[in-house]
Amino acid sequence: MALSIEELKAAILEKALNGPKPQLYLKDFYACDPDSKPRVIKKAANEMVTEGKMVFWSSGSTTMYAAKGRAKDEESRGT
Amino acid sequence: MPKHDTPLMDELEKGPWPSFVSDLKRQAEKNPECWDILGQMELSYKDKITHWKHGGIVGVFGYGGGIVGRYSDSPDKFPGVAHFHTVRLNQPSSKFYSTEMLRKVCDLWEKHGSGMTNMHGSTGDMVLLGTRTEELEPLFFDLTHELKWDLGGSGSNLRTPSCCLGKARCEWACYDTQAACHTLTMHYQDEIHRPAFPYKFKFKFSGCANDCVASAARSDFAVIGTWRDNIRINQDEVKKYISGELKAGGGIADSFGAFDIKKDVIGHCPTGCMWMEGGDLKIDDAECTRCMHCINVMPRALRPGVDQGATIMMGAKAPILDGAQLATMVIPFVKPTADNDFEDLIEVIEKAWDWWMEFGKNRERIGETMQRVGLPSFLRVMEVEPIPQHVKEPRCNPYVFWEAAEVEGGWDRDIKEFRERHKM
Ligand code: SF4
Ligand code: SF4
Repeated sequence: MALSIEELKAAILEKALNGPKPQLYLKDFYACDPDSKPRVIKKAANEMVTEGKMVFWSSGSTTMYAAKGRAKDEESRGT
Repeated sequence: MPKHDTPLMDELEKGPWPSFVSDLKRQAEKNPECWDILGQMELSYKDKITHWKHGGIVGVFGYGGGIVGRYSDSPDKFPGVAHFHTVRLNQPSSKFYSTEMLRKVCDLWEKHGSGMTNMHGSTGDMVLLGTRTEELEPLFFDLTHELKWDLGGSGSNLRTPSCCLGKARCEWACYDTQAACHTLTMHYQDEIHRPAFPYKFKFKFSGCANDCVASAARSDFAVIGTWRDNIRINQDEVKKYISGELKAGGGIADSFGAFDIKKDVIGHCPTGCMWMEGGDLKIDDAECTRCMHCINVMPRALRPGVDQGATIMMGAKAPILDGAQLATMVIPFVKPTADNDFEDLIEVIEKAWDWWMEFGKNRERIGETMQRVGLPSFLRVMEVEPIPQHVKEPRCNPYVFWEAAEVEGGWDRDIKEFRERHKM
């Protein structure tokens, strides 16, 4: 059975905080709940950005997600 | 007063054509950070490498697209472009602006950014070039509250849809491209502003096969106007073109010499389905690919048929992973209409998205996923019966692979039991 949206958000955050990769593609979160549809996972991940727990990192052509504070940020390197 | 010596950039002011270097110098008199754009570009020309770094977490609250982070890798030399983020604005359908709105957006951009624009970016957006991170939220507030204007798409989002002039100005539009573009832009606001996909996805809408927005080359989902019945022929007007009374292509073809219907029309028909018979022009419409060539040459004599709609093509892209590719025809004919809020297009789009979101790899455009699985598998996903027009070339693979459902009686196969007898 698919996880509830709150359980899904917790699983996504756990992966974003403690996974080996600091920045993840949306698809990398699919494994958090194989029973949830990609659109539900997208919704959960995007809601967490609105809640301030995660951030988008974008190259311009593609977008990745990171737990707040884990993203590679040009500005924090003083540029 | 120039801040940097830019002999290489200055070369680009020579010649009869307009120069972006002259534009930058003019803007730099008002906004001195533009001198640093010129300085950094001069350095790039000398070093033969870009000095821009792109990407980052810049954006406005709640949006996962529309702003592309850009930074100088030499901020000490060029502090004016230490941050030089790009802002994409969702252009109106067919890019019809009032001068009042253009003046307002220019004023807003001089207040919050460099004042430099790109009209338009290759996806179709109006592009505002160069601002600092701290200016993004104030710019977005003014843009949305004062101008009632929104950002476009970037990243792994649905990109800003774009369309040709369509029925607003063009007699050849076979469906209302502007209505389709506007309706789907509003319908998919979430997908435009927040990432949803393995990679970018673009819609483009052209009213006929002249494809003025190059949808067949530049969009993942191209809707191209066409017709199902016959080309309308006015034989009297055909004769006027032949006699020279009417100029072919509105006169544009004059430089190629006197009009010759055999050479200029019949000889250029890609399917060879036209001929002259007793002074009349004949077309075998069953063989016509609706390419528009003959109609372009003789617009007073030939017109698209009256049973109009569109063909859906999918999978075009520029070279990122596998090289550039043109779109593949997927659905030969639909009737896109505002009467049902373009639900025929929405149904096809969502079927393709659901599949691509599940099976597309990271950074794989849908055209690459289609190519990876093969057209027969993709057509099964889209629930489309293959037709001869789906075949690009005669087969070179001598094996025929049947699905169980395609064979009378089907078959059952127990792979475990088979491997018991045929060890790997
Ligand atoms: S694509 Fe066709 S319908 Fe659209 S503006 Fe061009 S010629 Fe006209
Ligand atoms: S539209 Fe193109 S394919 Fe059709 S008759 Fe004219 S030239 Fe031939």
